[in-house]
Amino acid sequence: MNPIPALRYHWNVHVLGPAVLRIQRWQAQRRPPRWDTRYLAPPLRIAPRTKELVARHWLAGRYADGYRKVAWVTSGAPVELLKALGFYVLYPENHGAICGTARVAVEIMSEAENAGYSRDLCSYARTDIGAALSGKTPVGRLPKPDLLFACTNICQTVLFWYRVLAEYFRVPLIVMDTPFVYGEEATEHAVRYVRRQLEEAVPVLERIAGKQLDERKLREVGLVSKRASELWLEILQRCRHRPAPISVFDQFIQMAPIVEMRGDPETVDFYAALLKEVDERIAKGIGAVKNEKKRLLWDNLPIWYRLRYLSEFLARHGVAVVVSTYTNAWGELAPLINPDDLWDSMARTYIYPILNRGTGHKLATMRRMVEEYGLDGAILHSDRSCKPYSIGQIDQRDRLIRELGVPALLLEADHNDERVFAEEQVANRLAAFLEMLGV
Amino acid sequence: MEPGPLPIPTRTATIRAWKERGGRIAAVLPIHYPRALLRAFGLLPVEVWGPPQVNAAYSAAHLQPYVCSIVGNALSFLHSGGLDVADVIVVPHACDSLQGLGSILLDFVRPRQPVFPFYIPRGRRESDLEFLADECRALYRGLAEVTGRSSSDDELMECIRREEEADALLAELHRRRPALPLSNRAFYHLVRAREYLPAETFTDLARAALDLPPADPDDGVPILLSGIVPEPMALLDSLSEMGATVVADDLACCGRRLYPPGTTDDPFRRMAERILNGPPDCTRGNSIAERLQHLIGMARRTGARGVVFYDVKFCEPELFDLPLLRRGLQEVGLPSVTIEVDLNEPLSHQALTRIEAFLEMVR
Repeated sequence: MNPIPALRYHWNVHVLGPAVLRIQRWQAQRRPPRWDTRYLAPPLRIAPRTKELVARHWLAGRYADGYRKVAWVTSGAPVELLKALGFYVLYPENHGAICGTARVAVEIMSEAENAGYSRDLCSYARTDIGAALSGKTPVGRLPKPDLLFACTNICQTVLFWYRVLAEYFRVPLIVMDTPFVYGEEATEHAVRYVRRQLEEAVPVLERIAGKQLDERKLREVGLVSKRASELWLEILQRCRHRPAPISVFDQFIQMAPIVEMRGDPETVDFYAALLKEVDERIAKGIGAVKNEKKRLLWDNLPIWYRLRYLSEFLARHGVAVVVSTYTNAWGELAPLINPDDLWDSMARTYIYPILNRGTGHKLATMRRMVEEYGLDGAILHSDRSCKPYSIGQIDQRDRLIRELGVPALLLEADHNDERVFAEEQVANRLAAFLEMLGV
Repeated sequence: MEPGPLPIPTRTATIRAWKERGGRIAAVLPIHYPRALLRAFGLLPVEVWGPPQVNAAYSAAHLQPYVCSIVGNALSFLHSGGLDVADVIVVPHACDSLQGLGSILLDFVRPRQPVFPFYIPRGRRESDLEFLADECRALYRGLAEVTGRSSSDDELMECIRREEEADALLAELHRRRPALPLSNRAFYHLVRAREYLPAETFTDLARAALDLPPADPDDGVPILLSGIVPEPMALLDSLSEMGATVVADDLACCGRRLYPPGTTDDPFRRMAERILNGPPDCTRGNSIAERLQHLIGMARRTGARGVVFYDVKFCEPELFDLPLLRRGLQEVGLPSVTIEVDLNEPLSHQALTRIEAFLEMVR
């Protein structure tokens, strides 16, 4: 084995990188807040640590080639299997979100468009394909995958997208197909099918990892994954409190570890610390929005390139967006994970994400949230890049209004392609909506 | 009757005749589903590929404008009473948009007919086959419940064999396409009649077509047509007028559904096997490389000089594959052109000009 990649990895990921990131965290802690604190609470104290944790994850990826096996996976993939086998796990969707918040997504997705990929395709996919083609990324460098793992429980788009990646990288692609759950329950044959695919994936993963799956290690990772998801759910549920200690805009930023580092022990430590800070805020009566007057729900992905704009716009009017079907998705399935019956519970966990369930189920989730979080309205982001999340929203909005009397707004945009975002139009629609809310 | 030398019954006449005989109708959305299973319950599958040129206003009350017109039109067609003749609606799962349509039909629109979603797995592994066979069994149970009928394995096998015979003739029509004395439009009227004719009627029709005297050697530019559905059908007339002959296709409604006969005696596995063993299709999980080899093979076999990718706007499964397919075809000397259409709009002059320029290039 060539020792150079290992030395390079250890030096950069365990020695030099952490030192640099600690300095950056120290500097960030002393920097004045960038978001408008006249209307918003000061940033969470943990924010610099979040940035450090996420940066360390991408740093490890930057030096993984030749040292660790790398898997590029969809956000709904059964990461426990990969973690237990020692893979470095990269989430192109998260990378897309980072590109979106850093406002470089359009430049990167243009590389894909220049190669023939239509602007009607998902903007995460275009960002990812653009990054793969050009090497452009705000995280330094993306490691080449040894394996691609696509799970269809978030959309069918990932199947088509990962087939493109498989052609470019010439590496194995594992597809875990999770039949869509139209009714209340998945059929038993669908659960059996998913479980069988999980089991069938193991020999392929072992071959690429060069080691056998240790069931004890898998159970450990499963426990850690469950604990992190539970903590995340607890944090979100603290927003039932008035005023809500954090907003969905905070949640969008703080969710990165639960997506890309689920199954890592430091993720549990991180969310335990965040929960503590959230509880401190509640104890001190600190709300994410100063002078919280109205509370809203957010449906669908964030508009990554306008988080601050939307947060400040709404906060100026005393509107706090306190809960989201999107951030909730990484916590709500925690009770299903059963480390004592991992294979069956993984099959059930991975078939039941909200995006793999019917439009009626999402409406029921929103209704429950309206009750539990004491909401005054809902913003449904009609995301032209995410059809499975967006189809059904028109009926969902109508029913929220008609059956619950909850004002609801359908906001047309795209999660990563800011060329689609018509700021003036959005501002007008939001202003009219806020007027309806009486603020 | 439709234009052309063959007496092809229209969709309306077929439905009326079937109903008069006491039969029932299943409206079926794209793309893959077990025809034999529906027939075993006396249901005639009549497919709904849009249809084109409907008032899309109703679908706008449920679907965003970035959903493809096949899905949007199906919903509008349902609302306008176009599916009133149907006793059940089957929505196979082919993409996120069809998934969404199935879901809002069940949860919000709630038509008077029972709606059956049908999930198609995205692979050809044993686990996929087993799942699809189970999915067929679940559909069987659902149909048995709403029709109050049942069907023995032998009856099911008889239905399967009838469909296999029709599909074998359909494949033969495609294979002998260049020698058939049919225009582009007449040929596609004939093969697309499989979308609504009972298998036995189609079989008779296909035999009649295959018995037609062979055509004179065609001096049209041989091309392949790829995409979802050749709508508006005026496209085919335009291609003929421009001197092009569609010698083979990779259309979701046609060439991607040339299912081979099954091999097992378990009727459910056999239906599943047939669907999974069809020609490469992006919506069924085939790789881009498989699709590319399939297209190249078809072009070599038929002498096609280029490929027209004719896709419905917002069709993600197609759009993802296009850049690499086109590059791969170019590498073996097969030029291609892409045309995007909305089923509610007539074929634009711009699209026709692009096809014409393409044909000039490959002529």
